[in-house]
Amino acid sequence: MSATLQLRRRMVNALALALGACATALGLALLGWILWLTLRQGLAALDWRLFTQVSADGEQGGLSNAIVGSLIMDLGALAICVPVGVAAGTFLAEYAPRSRFGASVRFLNDILLSAPSIVLGLFVYVAVVLPMSRLSGGAVSFSGVAGSIALALIGLPVIVRTTDQMLQLVPATLREAALSLGVPQWKLTVHVLLRAAASGIVTGVLLALARLAGETAPLLFTAFGNNFMTLHPLHKMGSVPVTIYQYANDPSPALHAIAWAGALLITLFVLALSVTMRVFTHRHRRMHEQ
Amino acid sequence: MSSDPGPIRIELARSRQGVAPAAGAAAAPAKFAVRGLDFHYGDTQVLHEVSLDIPLHRVTAIIGPSGCGKSTLLRVLNRIYSIYPRLRASGEVLLDGENVLDRAYALNRLRSKVGMVFQKPVPFPLSIHDNIAWGIRHHERLSRPELQARVEQALRRAALWDEVKDKLQRSALGLSGGQQQRLCIARAIALRPEVLLLDEPTSALDPVATARIEQLIEELKGDYTLVMVTHNMQQAARVSDRTAFMYMGRLVEVDATETIFTSPSNRHTEDYITGRFG
Amino acid sequence: MSGDRANMRYGHRGDPVPGRRVARADGAASPPAASAVATCSHERRARADTRNDRWFRGLLQACALLVLAVLLGAALSTAWGGREVLLGQGWRFLGSAQWDPVTNNYGALAPVFGTLVTSLIALLLAVPLAFGIALFLTRTAPPWLRGPLGTAVELLASIPSIIYGMWGLFAFVPFMARVEPWLSASLGRLPLIGCWFQGPPLGLGLLTAGIVLAVMILPFISAVMREVFQAVPAQLIEAAHALGATTWEVAWQIVLPYTRAAVIGGIFLGLGRALGETMAVTFVLGNSYAISGSLLMPGTSIASSIANEFNEAVGTHRSALLALAFLLFVVTFAVLLAARLLLRRMTRREGLR
Repeated sequence: MSATLQLRRRMVNALALALGACATALGLALLGWILWLTLRQGLAALDWRLFTQVSADGEQGGLSNAIVGSLIMDLGALAICVPVGVAAGTFLAEYAPRSRFGASVRFLNDILLSAPSIVLGLFVYVAVVLPMSRLSGGAVSFSGVAGSIALALIGLPVIVRTTDQMLQLVPATLREAALSLGVPQWKLTVHVLLRAAASGIVTGVLLALARLAGETAPLLFTAFGNNFMTLHPLHKMGSVPVTIYQYANDPSPALHAIAWAGALLITLFVLALSVTMRVFTHRHRRMHEQ
Repeated sequence: MSSDPGPIRIELARSRQGVAPAAGAAAAPAKFAVRGLDFHYGDTQVLHEVSLDIPLHRVTAIIGPSGCGKSTLLRVLNRIYSIYPRLRASGEVLLDGENVLDRAYALNRLRSKVGMVFQKPVPFPLSIHDNIAWGIRHHERLSRPELQARVEQALRRAALWDEVKDKLQRSALGLSGGQQQRLCIARAIALRPEVLLLDEPTSALDPVATARIEQLIEELKGDYTLVMVTHNMQQAARVSDRTAFMYMGRLVEVDATETIFTSPSNRHTEDYITGRFG
Repeated sequence: MSGDRANMRYGHRGDPVPGRRVARADGAASPPAASAVATCSHERRARADTRNDRWFRGLLQACALLVLAVLLGAALSTAWGGREVLLGQGWRFLGSAQWDPVTNNYGALAPVFGTLVTSLIALLLAVPLAFGIALFLTRTAPPWLRGPLGTAVELLASIPSIIYGMWGLFAFVPFMARVEPWLSASLGRLPLIGCWFQGPPLGLGLLTAGIVLAVMILPFISAVMREVFQAVPAQLIEAAHALGATTWEVAWQIVLPYTRAAVIGGIFLGLGRALGETMAVTFVLGNSYAISGSLLMPGTSIASSIANEFNEAVGTHRSALLALAFLLFVVTFAVLLAARLLLRRMTRREGLR
């Protein structure tokens, strides 16, 4: 082997590894920039006013209506997508683990996971908002319910996928042991399998919440937005992401500041969820290793 | 081991069964009677015309090299195989004279009569108490005190009560491997079955836990008919009354354990017992 | 219950056998007369179990079908809403660059162009960077740094896209406005591709949007790559090192080919995300329907056109936007389908996994 070849190989190696390190540095610098900006601008604008005033007060206003609206719609979305998603995921894992039907539902679920959220928003607009408006003679159009449904479509595939995966991790012997007691499949599924997979499924729910809580596009044409506080599910409802979107498009720097505060709140919320999820994942993994 | 065992000549075990019954096993009537059992996995036949009597209130051990079909035979007895697709059993498996392979034989009836304990301890992710109570609740409606009593009784029977009586509400996943396996035995006998199937019940346990389980099996045979699959010949010799030797999906020989281990009539059995293969 | 009590007492390990026998005889064993009753109740319970199981299965299956219904619904509702434009204009809708609410003339070319160009820029920038990051995180970085950095990358993948949009609008656009004159002066002089980098230094535009998208999908693709690189069997890597291969050679000749299918899958998922992204690009694209040869000029994308105009649009305009949404859905579907088919063919050919 020639010495020049050795030298060349070593230089290529050093260069490539250096570029890899640079890529990491660049990537982290960019993402650090984003986080730092959010933190700095958000903290500067953080004020109790945000939690007490409504956005109707404009530059002197706050986000209380948007925060309440977001909480209501996020929880409403979970109330829809958790039961449906867990049921669908259970079907895939327990009744269709290797069937053709199961494979196609899994594939379509993956598509839904990456489907453009704005299209899902339009779907809910056409399928929920328009019919409700027609039925009520125009009294009800955009609503918190429609917003929840749109967000539920964002969370649904996440929960289906995690439930499916977590149930498939449950050892087959657990099924055999339960069935050998003469217990029917549904009892086995509800009492034993879902419980064995519970912490993994909770991870999926948190993941879904983190995803749907930051979504803006599906809410634009479903919940629309509301500058006043409302708890009525059939009224237009404000949300933090939509308010950020509107305020960032406004020329007023005071509104920009409020938008940054909202951005900080959402980022902290999502990061807190992700960290909690990580703790759950570790616990789940530990339990399986035992 | 011989490089090529050649075509195996199976001296039919069936002829031996009725004839020369060995001491001890003779008096016991058959609890299970397997007749001409074939088993297919897809297109592969894994059991060939197995016929075997399993005597009441005795421990029957099934031994043989891995892949010989011993676990499959055990899993036919409570039809647990039927939860998987493409598995098919034909022939007769008579439990007290009724064919359990018959679709009309209700599965939950069969499984409440025939309990099963698996190779690895599989506690449910429930409390110790609920692990036992869960199965009972499905089959019987009991008052709270009745249920408590049944749980205690099962745990005592499985020699676990003293170790867990103060932590019944704690998760069963916190028990040691040996304790978990005894919990699984308790769970099975809590349903008051007549037969207990044990699929290599100690292969995942340490020697001390194994000894406890073997002792337990010894105690249980007064009330239950036990069928145990094991790859551990010493265990079969220690614990069982009768031993069946299987090889390549066929039942080669079944007799009183003593006979099998001292004077087997089949060359394959002898080779296996003496450790020449398997 | 007295029998049970007795059983408990006598049933204790070590007690004489006869005691146990007696206890069981009066407590548990079923006399012949009771056995017929037991059989009957067993059959009734078996029937109930079968019925409940069937209901349970049906309920779960209905929920699984809902996933299918949502996708079908999304495709059908946008196609139905856009039928006026889709049927009325047909292929002309795709080929026309006009977008004029005054004369009610709508063509999809500009938003489609913007969507494709920004996504392509994003992939070109993000994929090599993500590979570098994954390489660093799995091979080069000191072990104590790998865990925390990997976690950081995964956490960043969960930040909502509107935050990227805010950063783009308030920090990155001014930054680009300063960088662009320099870009025009250097890259703009190159032959062939020079014209891509000429134009007024607005800060907004296709290039800016593409970079913001790249930053957004970067943690996502890196996380996928890092995960699959970690899954490569250690023996394989040790064997290659034992033959004298350098770290880079192992990564490029062993790890990457071994994980190719999953890596491409991850890239396609990133592409799907970039194509459909709304919030990260809407602020920084400039919302212009002019198709320009320069990446520094403002443009639009399907998602941002919809976000900007849908709530004010009526009639044909609304129909055109829904038709655009249908188009976006079909394109995303096609990309993800292609990813799946590619993956399947690769795994089959390589016989891996």
